[in-house]
Amino acid sequence: MEPSKWKKVAYGGMQPGYNDNYTDESFLEEMVMNANVVKRGMPKVMLDSVSITQYVCIVSLVVSVWAHTLSLHIDEISLLKLDIALLALGFSVLLLTARQLSIQLLSHYLLNISFFISGLYVLAPIYYTLTRSISSDSIVALTVSLLIIHLFLHDYSGSTIRPPGALKNPNLASNISLNASIVASVLVASRLPSRLHVFTIMLFSLQVFLFAPLITFCIKKYSNKVHLFFSFALMSMALSVVYQLHSMLFTLLLGLLFFISVVCPYWLIRIQEYKFEINGSWDEAKLCFDITE
Amino acid sequence: MDQQRKHTILMVSDFFYPNFGGVESHIYYLSQCLLKLGHKVVVMTHSYGKRTGVRYVTNGLKVYYVPWRAFLMQNTLPTFYLTLPIIRTILIRERISIVHGHQAFSTLCHEALMHARTMGYKVVFTDHSLYGFADVGSIHMNKVLQFTLADISQAICVSHTSKENTVLRSGITPDRVFVVPNAVDTAMFTPSTCRLSCDEIVIVVISRLVYRKGADLLVEVIPEVCHLFSNVRFIVGGDGPKRVRLEEMREKHSLQDRVEMLGAVPHARVRSVLISGHIFLNSSLTEAFCIAILEAASCGLLTVSTRVGGVPEVLPDDMVVLSEPDPGDMVHAIRKAIVMLPSIDPYAMHQRMKKLYSWHDVAKRTEIVYDRALQSSDENLLRRLPRYLKCGSWAGKMFCLVMIVNFLLWCLLDLWQPVESIEEVPDLVFIRNEHEDVVHDSI
Repeated sequence: MEPSKWKKVAYGGMQPGYNDNYTDESFLEEMVMNANVVKRGMPKVMLDSVSITQYVCIVSLVVSVWAHTLSLHIDEISLLKLDIALLALGFSVLLLTARQLSIQLLSHYLLNISFFISGLYVLAPIYYTLTRSISSDSIVALTVSLLIIHLFLHDYSGSTIRPPGALKNPNLASNISLNASIVASVLVASRLPSRLHVFTIMLFSLQVFLFAPLITFCIKKYSNKVHLFFSFALMSMALSVVYQLHSMLFTLLLGLLFFISVVCPYWLIRIQEYKFEINGSWDEAKLCFDITE
Repeated sequence: MDQQRKHTILMVSDFFYPNFGGVESHIYYLSQCLLKLGHKVVVMTHSYGKRTGVRYVTNGLKVYYVPWRAFLMQNTLPTFYLTLPIIRTILIRERISIVHGHQAFSTLCHEALMHARTMGYKVVFTDHSLYGFADVGSIHMNKVLQFTLADISQAICVSHTSKENTVLRSGITPDRVFVVPNAVDTAMFTPSTCRLSCDEIVIVVISRLVYRKGADLLVEVIPEVCHLFSNVRFIVGGDGPKRVRLEEMREKHSLQDRVEMLGAVPHARVRSVLISGHIFLNSSLTEAFCIAILEAASCGLLTVSTRVGGVPEVLPDDMVVLSEPDPGDMVHAIRKAIVMLPSIDPYAMHQRMKKLYSWHDVAKRTEIVYDRALQSSDENLLRRLPRYLKCGSWAGKMFCLVMIVNFLLWCLLDLWQPVESIEEVPDLVFIRNEHEDVVHDSI
């Protein structure tokens, strides 16, 4: 008599002629491997890593300005001029790269900036005496660790301050990194001799940390070539400024940029071979609609 | 054929009575049926509130409520070695021959299996749930499972999909995994004595109202169905974080007279809620094996369910209507079920369920697994350690270290509290039944 075929069912008790540990040929037939994995090529990954190196250069520029200000090579009037120049540059980039120029958006931005600047000016005396009782070593150590946290947790693909047209909401990590950078700026500012110094350096640091991601996001959205050109210009500027500051820091920065641009992409592509994504009928079903709370 | 050997089994899990759920009822019913087959069963779990110590439940099933508190989601705190003394004492006192652990999420189960293996007992593990591979929690859970299943005698899964999932997660060979499904107590879930009229169709939903059980799908499906069919009413039993969304949906579409929310339904009242309906709706997003569907089918209800996990294997095609986990498809399936309703005979369905699922059958199949487990050879520590090295380049060595330390602690315990000093429990024989028989005979 022909034995009955094994069926993939759980009812009816033990199937006659088959043990409970019988493994059919159709076992794991519906398993799908690596369905959503994107194959990456080395040139593309290296080009994408430019966003990270660009931001590292911006941060190193800020740190060199801080170092020069703390050793009183730059006085407060030239800092003020630097602030105004940066503001004008930022606004011009925004205007040039915006798809539709709307007066309402511009006035919205101008209003926010003026509130921001006046608020900072009013609060400057508080920062001035904030860390007077703490030693300089602790301040330097704290600033360095906060900047490292800031670089690690920073959102390199978007911007924490939401520009119009941004896709995703800022998440917890990018908020923490923003806060870390603001606290670092406050710590550095509190070391300076006069209130105007404090105001100008705070304005400079906050302008860069809050709005530089927004500006770079707008440039990237506008044109990739302009983005690459801008990044290389920034990199050369950062390297030359740091070289004049200290030669060891220069080699450190150069090593870091090489690591991020060349070593990390190669490493990523090497370990992509081990990726093993498994999908099958046991997966939790994904809802095809958004849950509106 | 010589008489089957009788085993002494220790069931270990964090999930048991007084909690109600799939794992809990599985352990309880399986233990009762094994007791009827003549084996001795002891259950070990953690304490529930004031309920600690040794208790006896129906038919002399002994339960050890070990004085550990539940720490997170019904689980005890993982302490690795602190459970060794109590488990050793229980294993020696009760003269256990097999240790059977339940549920991958239970820390007490993993620890008990680890200690039982160190002491040389045979172990069996039953997995009741499906897990993913991608998120951090699942990755850690799978590593723990790999550790436990590296040196196990046999494993049991509740459905074929669950077997595929377990084999992939733990790397165990497929022919060591037996598929023994759950069953349902058909004596408790009987259809109602009077047939319900088909003028008004009642759809029953009983589940925990959480994301995993598809409460969001319900929020989309219920208004649509109420709009399309004017004679359909819903009864929703169960509680959970998503209950608020369902209440909001009810308010928004003014369905207060067509959707009845019962709140949490105690297990004893589930049958009375089920028999007041014609159709049972299950919208889970993932299920290894859905006992709720069996209970509904045993009460004579037609089931509409999402096609996820092990659900397609549970019922024959004429007792269930499957759909994709998508609101449009589910409404279509409900329409199909309403059309099928006049041809459904609840009593015939109940009789069929009695033949398809039975806890006695599950117990017999589990007995076969125990016999197979006992046939495997005894091995000392050195022969077993290489199996742990296969778990990974770093993890393998760490697991070996854990097992070696466990072995040393066991030797120390042996010296401090020798086996001879632990009193063995005599077998308890109930004379109450014999007395009744005597009474019957005399009449």
